[in-house]
Amino acid sequence: MQNASQRAAARTQSKGLADNFRKYWPYYVMAMPGVIYLIIFRFIPMLGSVIAFEDYQVYTGIFSSQWVGMKNFVNMFTYSDFSRILTNTLILGALRILFCFPVPVIMALMMNEIGAPRLKKTIQTAVYIPYFLSWIIVSELIFDLLGVSGLFNRARALFGLRPLLVMQQSKYFRTVYVFSTIWKEAGWGTVVYMAAIAGIDQSLYEAASIDGATRFQKMRFITFPMLLPTVITMLLLQIGSFMELGFEHVFSLLTPMTYSTGDIFDTYVYRVGILQAQYSITTAVGLFQSVIGLVMVVFFNQLSKKISDDGGLW
Amino acid sequence: MRKRSWNDQMFSGVMTVILILCAVIAVIPLLSVLALSFSSKIAVNTNAVTLFPVGFTLDSWKAIVTRPDMWRATAVTIGTTLVGTFLALIITSLLAYPLSKKEFGLQKGIMIMVVITMIFKAPTVPYFLTLRSIGLYNSVWAMILPHILTAYNMIVMRTFFLGFPREVEESATIDGCGPFRILAQIVLPSSKAVIAVIGLFYAVTIWNQYQHPLYFISDMNMFPLQMKVRQFVTESSELQTIAAKRAVNYTERSLKAVVVVFAIVPIMLVYPKLQKYFEKGAMLGSVKG
Repeated sequence: MQNASQRAAARTQSKGLADNFRKYWPYYVMAMPGVIYLIIFRFIPMLGSVIAFEDYQVYTGIFSSQWVGMKNFVNMFTYSDFSRILTNTLILGALRILFCFPVPVIMALMMNEIGAPRLKKTIQTAVYIPYFLSWIIVSELIFDLLGVSGLFNRARALFGLRPLLVMQQSKYFRTVYVFSTIWKEAGWGTVVYMAAIAGIDQSLYEAASIDGATRFQKMRFITFPMLLPTVITMLLLQIGSFMELGFEHVFSLLTPMTYSTGDIFDTYVYRVGILQAQYSITTAVGLFQSVIGLVMVVFFNQLSKKISDDGGLW
Repeated sequence: MRKRSWNDQMFSGVMTVILILCAVIAVIPLLSVLALSFSSKIAVNTNAVTLFPVGFTLDSWKAIVTRPDMWRATAVTIGTTLVGTFLALIITSLLAYPLSKKEFGLQKGIMIMVVITMIFKAPTVPYFLTLRSIGLYNSVWAMILPHILTAYNMIVMRTFFLGFPREVEESATIDGCGPFRILAQIVLPSSKAVIAVIGLFYAVTIWNQYQHPLYFISDMNMFPLQMKVRQFVTESSELQTIAAKRAVNYTERSLKAVVVVFAIVPIMLVYPKLQKYFEKGAMLGSVKG
């Protein structure tokens, strides 16, 4: 009985879609290229992840390679490489949230205190620039800056210190990652916060002035609390995309000397998967990363929706 | 009263000084590399160059801009950026427009697809294998097609279309305009701002891309600028050989500096004029559908 009514419902639904198509066919035609694109470039690669459960061989293909179940995952967890790249990914992700995330917030609060509009504009123009350079360019600037004859070591020489080869030592990789992220992205990161600050009701400041508040007090008790919802939304989104450290960023700063602290999922998968063609095991690694990423994004997106009305990406 | 305003001025002053310092830090590495590219061999080798060229010379520049491979790479980068941005704007607006219409029967279903692509990233290896199997290996399309539709840009554009006044479109429909004409002749012409912003973001992505050419392009004749920079910088043997000649007035380091500046110049030329569009774009991003 229920089955029949379900079938009837399904029939009216498909009939509804057919009617909808007859009436609004141009919309279907318009959406077609985009949908085909998404299927080829986004969904087929997702389905291709099945090779994580196979002993994939290029010549036998996805459909006839031998099915091995969870073997690749079991192997993966026993690799010493795996615990290294997992640790590195987690540490870099945590450092980014701890040290890189607050910088644009603080910069936006300070920017708001500059009186002269021309000066403010000039400063903004300058701090946005690095965002538009590629990581390849930025990494080359960094390699030159920190090289033996770079500005960094010449500044050290002024204080009588011996040159320090930062890029060649694994213990400095994380510091370089954090500073390079701040240098490239913090300035641009202020845009969202400046927009939020611009939306604050000016009468709050006027009322505070009448009560005799100093500029610092206005920043502390008006601007900052009014900015907080935006900050929390951005923070949760950032935590949700914890695992996305940026292949190009890490790859371009990495040298074989710094693998022990700088090798992450993305760079490992490139080296072992794409260059050495160990497809199945690296797909397992990638799938592990994608699934963790999915869980994190969904969880923190829901959390952000719960906290503020207009939080969340979707 | 007086003391308070003095306090305020101090506070503002300190903030301003810190931010000026930030601005200086943001541009110092660029000035340094610019100075190196115009400096003489002796000045570079004796570490005399900081932020201004010493022993001004164009020799390093001459050595780089006379290389046909640099111009070929520039052509690849400009070509892929123009074609990619154009295709991206077409496919993105064609998808965003019907998704802004609640009459469209597949609206919900396709939106779910789009959100899935945002939250679940296909692992790199099957992505690489899929794209290779459709013939993107050593093809310029490998630097174009992967970038022409991103969920985020599509959603921003859709949000913009959702705010378009219904009455205008309805009266156009009554006058006998179909959706294609409404989109092409009414909606798109009045969405120039959002199109400029999204086009810019696509263009920057394609211009700066490194991952896709690294994965898919092994033919050096097809290298874009970023790959060329990386090639000169990491496998520096080639620049070393050029710079090792005795009679020249440049070094490996000054040549690297030229390559870097060469790849930055186009962005630096357009950036100041387009800054306000970029800012607008970043703010559009905070509005969701």
